[in-house]
Amino acid sequence: MAGRRFMVLVFFTLVLAAAAEKAGAQPCLIFVHGKQTDTNTYTSYTAARNYWVNGSHDFVKTATKNLVTPYYVVGYNGTRPYWEPQSAGEVATEIVNATNGGADGGGHRCAKTYAQGGTFWVIAHSMGGTVMDWILGNNDASDPNFNFNGPYDQVAQRVSMVITTGGAHRGSQGADAVCLQGNPLCSFIAIFIQSCDDATYWLRSSDDVQVRNFANAPAKTIYLTAGYEAIFGSSACLNGEDDGVVQYASSFACSGSATASYDNTNVCNNSNKQEASGFANLDATHENHSDERDDSDSDTRRAIPTGIWLCSGVPCAANTVVQSSMTTARFISILY
Amino acid sequence: MKSIVKSSLGCSLGLLALALPALAQAPDASLFARRTAADYRELARYPESSKALPAGAMDPIREKRTPTKQTTRGPQGTPILSVWASKLSVEVGRPVDLFAEPSLLGKPALPLEVTGEIASTKGIVAQVVYHDDGKAPDVKAGDGIWSARLTMPAGLEPDSAESYMVRVKARMLDGDIREAAGGFLYSNPSAHLTGRYRETNTGGSLVISAQVEVKEAGRFHLAGTLATLGGEPVGTAQAATRLEPGLHWIDLSFYGLMFHDRKVAGPFRLSSLALATTTGMPNALNDLVENAYVTKPQRLEALTAKPFNEPKLLETARRLEGER
Repeated sequence: MAGRRFMVLVFFTLVLAAAAEKAGAQPCLIFVHGKQTDTNTYTSYTAARNYWVNGSHDFVKTATKNLVTPYYVVGYNGTRPYWEPQSAGEVATEIVNATNGGADGGGHRCAKTYAQGGTFWVIAHSMGGTVMDWILGNNDASDPNFNFNGPYDQVAQRVSMVITTGGAHRGSQGADAVCLQGNPLCSFIAIFIQSCDDATYWLRSSDDVQVRNFANAPAKTIYLTAGYEAIFGSSACLNGEDDGVVQYASSFACSGSATASYDNTNVCNNSNKQEASGFANLDATHENHSDERDDSDSDTRRAIPTGIWLCSGVPCAANTVVQSSMTTARFISILY
Repeated sequence: MKSIVKSSLGCSLGLLALALPALAQAPDASLFARRTAADYRELARYPESSKALPAGAMDPIREKRTPTKQTTRGPQGTPILSVWASKLSVEVGRPVDLFAEPSLLGKPALPLEVTGEIASTKGIVAQVVYHDDGKAPDVKAGDGIWSARLTMPAGLEPDSAESYMVRVKARMLDGDIREAAGGFLYSNPSAHLTGRYRETNTGGSLVISAQVEVKEAGRFHLAGTLATLGGEPVGTAQAATRLEPGLHWIDLSFYGLMFHDRKVAGPFRLSSLALATTTGMPNALNDLVENAYVTKPQRLEALTAKPFNEPKLLETARRLEGER
């Protein structure tokens, strides 16, 4: 009898160990928000966390499979240029904190530290993408702005990959419109950007403010997904497909002009990115700039050139509908 | 889609995809992680400071420094306005040429006037009037490309560099206004290339050293692309270092493996060379130097064919392969 009890105990111990191993092998998701019109996300964890929430819809909850996957929410000063201490410096410091097992402002922490073998994926929206381009492109002593104001080298060592949703890698024509202050049709963009503050100025699509001027190729792959749902008014100010704030040329990190016109059929493939390596397409979604980060619009997803979706075992033709109802948060949850 | 209306055809195809996952499916999670890991194992063959370029790739350093057009749409069926500068970064004391092109359906659209304001985050510092009269800097009268030459006012020399936005306004014949914004960096670099170069084989890599004259201590970044004499880019190298005033050499080490991978032994052309002062942000960018130097022919057997095995990437690959 005692022997049987022992065997049952061993069995359940092994099952639990296997389950723990599986959970431990999952990545920890680190969320980096986008441009802000005030400093709330820097000073308040609640504001940083709510960036990803719209009513009952919660991007973090969905991406982490109902909060089962460990996660960490970063908050930084989204009114400052992408390269400053309170933006990039803060993001880098918080990511390293997450990989050391530190808690975010809400007490959430990764299950395993980097030293314990943990893996870490960064999920970044909008300006968060620009910040990650800067950090991962300045992680090596040979890079232009190595460790400029934070431990970029540790971030690059410890992060496995980045997924950006509506990333402003080449800036935003929405920011252009706000800083031009000329076209009332484009004033709808003010909902998201409001003013030509310093962060907005450095998120324009003009050549001189591009992050690629001041960084090398990212040390870890930055995967790209973006929305193509127009926003009435603002999308009239943007070239090609866009999510109402960021145009495809930017959200898919294309080489050439940041205002070039692209759609799902011809957006730049993985060989024509803003850097010679380090950027890769995932897919496109019928979401606008807000939907991309709040899980509120479960909508169509489409294949793009050199994207991730397979049709009958081969890459789907560009613009093929690959899902009829899937949010970006849900999409991320199926990638791990 | 610009239309917010969902495609019923798209929805039905999507449902079909869900019903028949073989038709449209994401790679399973472990495949995604493994594919990323495989990419990292490939990238790890080179140090972060020097990468081979695939055949047919463009020169990434030149591409980054090439000015591009910024285009603003008008309402449907009305002209668009594209603006650009002759250089991404203009060194102190040199003029920059500014261009504007109103067009409709690919053909020039005639404006009454084109004007521009030059502004930084601190406010407007200069104004320009564009012309399409064939007089320098305008290349050809009546070609629809309007031009202006700007010399920045004295007293605006930055310590390092300053970003300037060029807000362009085109008043069309019907009174309609088109606006677009471009910009340029106004740079005051603390070092310049002297034009002297030398080459060595160091540790199985081709090292091209460029001499720089530093006028003020700071951190400096140099990046270069090596190409065949026919102009095909082969690989890149970069270096960064702190330097005191005086003459110094900065080494660009092109990792030997790239020559084996591309099966080329030279001679090579240093097709583009970009120096920057990176003591602060924004960095001060020197003018791009093209075709700066031609190397001797190399002996492939003297260049390393060993992968670099960049540890940061290999460790991440190992962990990703263990995920799930």
